[in-house]
Amino acid sequence: MSVASAEIGEGGTRGWRLRAAATPYVLLVPALLALAAVSLYPIFYGARASLHRYRYGIDMGSAGKQNYVDVFHDPVFWEAIKTTAKYVVIAVPIETLLGLGLALLVARELRFVSWIRVTLILPMTIAPVVVGVIFRLLYASDIGVANPLFEKLGLGTPNILARETSAFLGLVAVDVWEWTPLLFLILLAGLTSLPQDPLEAAEVDGASRVQAFFHHTLPLLKPVLLVAITLRTIDAVGTFDQIFVLTKGGPGTSTQLISIYAYNTAFTFTQYGQAMAMLIALLACLLLLMAAAVHFMRRTSEAVA
Amino acid sequence: MSPRRRRLTGAAIYGALTVAIFVALFPFWWMIDTSLKQPVDIFAGVSLWPQHITFHNYGRLIHEYHFDSFLVNSIVIVAASVAISLVLGTLAAYALARFKLRFGVDRLSLYAVLLVRMLPGILLVVPLYIVLAKWGLLNTRLGLILIYAGLNTSFVIWMMQSFLEDIPRDIEEAAMVDGDSRLSALRRVVIPLAAPGLIATAIFAVIATYNDFIIALTLTSTPVAQTVPVGVSTLIGKIQIEWGPMAAAGVVGALPIVLFALVVQRHFVRGLTLGAVK
Repeated sequence: MSVASAEIGEGGTRGWRLRAAATPYVLLVPALLALAAVSLYPIFYGARASLHRYRYGIDMGSAGKQNYVDVFHDPVFWEAIKTTAKYVVIAVPIETLLGLGLALLVARELRFVSWIRVTLILPMTIAPVVVGVIFRLLYASDIGVANPLFEKLGLGTPNILARETSAFLGLVAVDVWEWTPLLFLILLAGLTSLPQDPLEAAEVDGASRVQAFFHHTLPLLKPVLLVAITLRTIDAVGTFDQIFVLTKGGPGTSTQLISIYAYNTAFTFTQYGQAMAMLIALLACLLLLMAAAVHFMRRTSEAVA
Repeated sequence: MSPRRRRLTGAAIYGALTVAIFVALFPFWWMIDTSLKQPVDIFAGVSLWPQHITFHNYGRLIHEYHFDSFLVNSIVIVAASVAISLVLGTLAAYALARFKLRFGVDRLSLYAVLLVRMLPGILLVVPLYIVLAKWGLLNTRLGLILIYAGLNTSFVIWMMQSFLEDIPRDIEEAAMVDGDSRLSALRRVVIPLAAPGLIATAIFAVIATYNDFIIALTLTSTPVAQTVPVGVSTLIGKIQIEWGPMAAAGVVGALPIVLFALVVQRHFVRGLTLGAVK
């Protein structure tokens, strides 16, 4: 078929051209509507709910900014924010260091490397609820392995989930077990896509492994590292599943992250308005991190392309 | 490096990896071990192998704890929502990968997609609960299917867009010169070429949907629509904990995903990596 007839097919008449111009939008609209229905709509609906008063789950009309004032003066809310911050600030750096270490170990010619990789990432692939089951079984005071293990080490029987500090640290350990693989996976992908020439040049120059890492690998890996850390931080702030099944926020309020407190406010006390006020405030803080994540991701995808 | 030092580093690397693999796998084994034990043996102190293997705990999941319904619900909900999102998301990804759109619509769409991926679940479930209650969709499979279909669409667009960009335009343009319309060129030529990407995307969507807890927890209340993770959580929450069935429930919850991981290893790892970063 000749080129001329192909051109007629693509843009012959005015109507045809309009239809061709509309094609991408027609393809895009159903997906964007579906997305908006489960994201934008709930957020706007939730923002509206945060300005209403609810009683036994029934909308009692506008409350102005009262919910926000109440939340702002609620000491339990601030405690939940503090607990969440502590959780994230302890867990994410540990996950990053361990993930980076593992990625450096695996990013070389090894036998069974694909099996090692898939084994190491298993913890992040199973449902967080199942992770909860696993650690309930490990931490259990009567049938678990944590107590006998600590006893053997001469550290007594801590009954991890029964005391405030140990429950909090026990949950951080769960998070580290589950999510170090994500950092490992992303950083491994980043490491294997790095150019090898500068490293080889450095080795020829007689630089030690450690020097080569700090002067060459780390700067090159920085964009990927930033993406991985911000994404993990955002997800960690919203942690809910494992905590809900393991401690429900207890003992006391020692493991009550903001998501657990908001859940209880909404579904145990049916205070939808107050719960949404908390969550909208949280979203406002997260938006900064999300913008940073998008910025870092754009930079890495441009660098890779 | 001298050969001796090289051998030593090699041993150190494998040593460190062995420790890592043990830490990653032992908790799984403890769950499987407990699920195969009889109650007496569960309480008989730490033993790393079931003394008398029994599948009784698994039987009880079905007879006493509705796990047959949970599994059916999960399968129906995952299959339907992933199928819908693959169709919607791939069409949108094609539009983004192939056309220059006006008013920065393409850029904005991708940002929207990314933001949806990062929203914490707890933020969405409170309003979704109120809205679904209004429409009578609480505690139905349909309600969950619609919500997961929408959420999955975000990473289908994200992942498929990058796969489709890698496919050269000439191929489909040749098909269009041969008389195909754009959509039939997409179906006959582009999709088969993008199949590996489509598989990786589907895997990621299946895992995310099968594993989700908070949405299913808040929007369902009985075994009519509850999914496997919610079923598992009902066993942990009990005051008088039944360790055997709880461990068995955990195994059932993890098994499909772990098998998946081992069978389609390459696509699986690719899907996970791409789902996280581009």
